[in-house]
Amino acid sequence: MKKLKFTDLLITIMIGVVFGILMKFWDDLYTVVKPIMPVARQLIYGMWFMVGPFAYLLIRKPGTALIASIAGASLSAFAGHGIEVLMYGFVQGLAAELVFAAARYKRFSMLVAGLAGVASCAASFTLDLVYGYAALETWALIVKYGLRAISAFIFTGIFAVLIVRALEKTGVTSLIRPVDKKEYSMLDR
Amino acid sequence: MLAWFTPERKTWLFQVNPALKFVVFFALLLITLFNQNFPFAVWQAVFYGMLFYLFSGYSIRKLALLSIPLLISFLSSALTLIMFGKGDTVLWQWYLIKISEESIQHGLLLGSKSLSFGFVGFTFLLTIQPVLFFYAMMQQFRMPSKYAYSFIASFRLIPAVTEELQIRRNALKVRNIQFSRGVKGVYERLQMYTVPLFAESIRRAQRIAVAMEAKQYQMGAARTYYYTTHYSRMDTVFVIVMITVIATALSLAFI
Repeated sequence: MKKLKFTDLLITIMIGVVFGILMKFWDDLYTVVKPIMPVARQLIYGMWFMVGPFAYLLIRKPGTALIASIAGASLSAFAGHGIEVLMYGFVQGLAAELVFAAARYKRFSMLVAGLAGVASCAASFTLDLVYGYAALETWALIVKYGLRAISAFIFTGIFAVLIVRALEKTGVTSLIRPVDKKEYSMLDR
Repeated sequence: MLAWFTPERKTWLFQVNPALKFVVFFALLLITLFNQNFPFAVWQAVFYGMLFYLFSGYSIRKLALLSIPLLISFLSSALTLIMFGKGDTVLWQWYLIKISEESIQHGLLLGSKSLSFGFVGFTFLLTIQPVLFFYAMMQQFRMPSKYAYSFIASFRLIPAVTEELQIRRNALKVRNIQFSRGVKGVYERLQMYTVPLFAESIRRAQRIAVAMEAKQYQMGAARTYYYTTHYSRMDTVFVIVMITVIATALSLAFI
């Protein structure tokens, strides 16, 4: 198991916090879209599930999805969304983490990342049910959370993977990821 | 912006240990989350409202301003359930919208819960300093220092990140970037903003971590703190008040 070093931890939390800031701006967009287009609003909801899987795809170590998700939520909490978002951050991060653990922390494909997003969505759905949304009509529940799950897959499976690939090209990932055996063997040549 | 968040007077809530305050408030919110009883939810909202309006130490004008988002979240969560909630005793129906007695009750339950969340959340935010909160988490609740300092360091960088975001926005505007419509446009937007932002943040975070380790910052070692936080008599008062609040709300709801 690759353990988190202090550098990894600081970067993970930093990513969570930057995502928290982005989510703050995204939230403005969400609020504008909210009343006019209920369908579109559910479709951009996936942004809220992106932080954990994104951090994991970038750093590729166990624990990053959960920690980044909590960090993102705590920024949201301090930015005025209230302490309850921490509960959501925790369960969403945990769900994503469990998916990556099930893939033994060895797969970084769109499918696994997307599934992690959908798992986060399912976890937040469970909390929503407890909160009070269980009293919604069944069709409304299916439409609302169905769209949200699709959006979660698009944001975490496709967008997050593509952005991480773009980041790999900038070279920053070489600062954080464990050095490959291949790279060591290149020194021998 | 930060100047706005200076209270008019420092109430007793300011003297409570920030970490203890967080743990107690978090426990209260868990009670709110899992509660399904309507009167209990209403009484909780009433008491937390009193906490917010009487003891947060901010002027009426600011509290009124802060009430606007609370009202919006109350309305949006309650109305969703009122209009699209389950229920048999139908009062009014129009296409997909169906208002029934049950849905109104469920809507008001959810609305009260969201009010409680808002009141407690704001009361917490208005009466703590984030940095002291993390120091207290380390000293009173044994949060590992590497987590606490990572949070503090990241929080310190927020202004730099928002400034960068602003610069990026202007840069894109100057170059007259046009985004596609639909899903592709959402991705283009996301990529244009996040890639430079993350590249820079990661570099910065890595540099800070290296610098901290170079200055002999040790993760596991016993340490002293620049800000020391303690428990005081006010903490006992706080815990007693909160237990009384919950007990009173329970007895008002169930007796």
